[in-house]
Amino acid sequence: MSPNNSLDKGRPMEGSPVPELVTTSKEEIEASEKRVEKLQDLLRLAEKGQEDAVPEIRQILSKHPDLAWRFVDVAHVAEDALIEVMTKEGDLATKELIRCQLEAMRKEIAGKNCSPLEQLLSERVVVTWLEVQFFETLYAQDMPTLTIPQAEHHQKRLDRAHRRHLSAIRALAQIRKLFKGTAITQINIADKQINTTA
Amino acid sequence: MLRFVHRCVTPCQLHRFPNRSVDMGWEKRDRGGLYYTRSKKVDGRVIREYVGGGTLGHLTALQDAQERLRREEEAALWNEERERLEALLALVEQLCEATEVLYRATLLSAGYRRHQRGEWRRKREPKQ
Repeated sequence: MSPNNSLDKGRPMEGSPVPELVTTSKEEIEASEKRVEKLQDLLRLAEKGQEDAVPEIRQILSKHPDLAWRFVDVAHVAEDALIEVMTKEGDLATKELIRCQLEAMRKEIAGKNCSPLEQLLSERVVVTWLEVQFFETLYAQDMPTLTIPQAEHHQKRLDRAHRRHLSAIRALAQIRKLFKGTAITQINIADKQINTTA
Repeated sequence: MLRFVHRCVTPCQLHRFPNRSVDMGWEKRDRGGLYYTRSKKVDGRVIREYVGGGTLGHLTALQDAQERLRREEEAALWNEERERLEALLALVEQLCEATEVLYRATLLSAGYRRHQRGEWRRKREPKQ
């Protein structure tokens, strides 16, 4: 394990730069997606037992500490799209109410001083919760008019949403459990990365 | 189109209408004349039901064609709705995939490994 990598010692980096989400360009999002694809390929190799993939994964993560933040933006877009479908057009009050509720949930789940990865995992919990709510409402609304195959399709979709939500909660809980009490802060002084353990 | 047909129409006249599905089920008999039949599935087997010719046949043919049209419209609406929802869920799926990759990559790079595709455990350091 490289001594310069903050991830070696536990908790994912805290204090990594938060990009200006409003100014995130399409190119930047595409670049982040490519990095995640590369990570996915490396993960496959590492899980097959190829040890040399791990340093490369570490390198990508330490080179791009803002990677998790980039996807927080995707979470917001997904959330907005779901709110749009769930509410009537022009019903600004309900839209705002749902947004406030989600914001409160997000704060409660993420807590204070969370790492970017924890923030992203919390966003995922919130979005998947909203997805479950959406499908439950849709199913309840359509139930009287559905044919058996259509009802089965709805049920499958609902099950999938439930599974996604549970897996999001599990991932967040696991990250918190494994990195408990080993907060790592990354400080950059004169382009030199220093990791301090809290 | 068929909803505006008020009088009894023969199969030959129905050829003028764009919805050709109205022609379905008409059989020409050797002794002359047309006979309306329809097929349905009973206990997994296809059974042909003989309805009749003349006014009864034409009325049943129209009724069946309207039912088919209604079902087609319903299926098209259902498909449209499904596609709309799938496009909506693509964003959630993208988010979930990216988060999962980052989560696994972080754990792996922090020295954890997955035990039999389940629990994450700290990898043992080799003894010096």
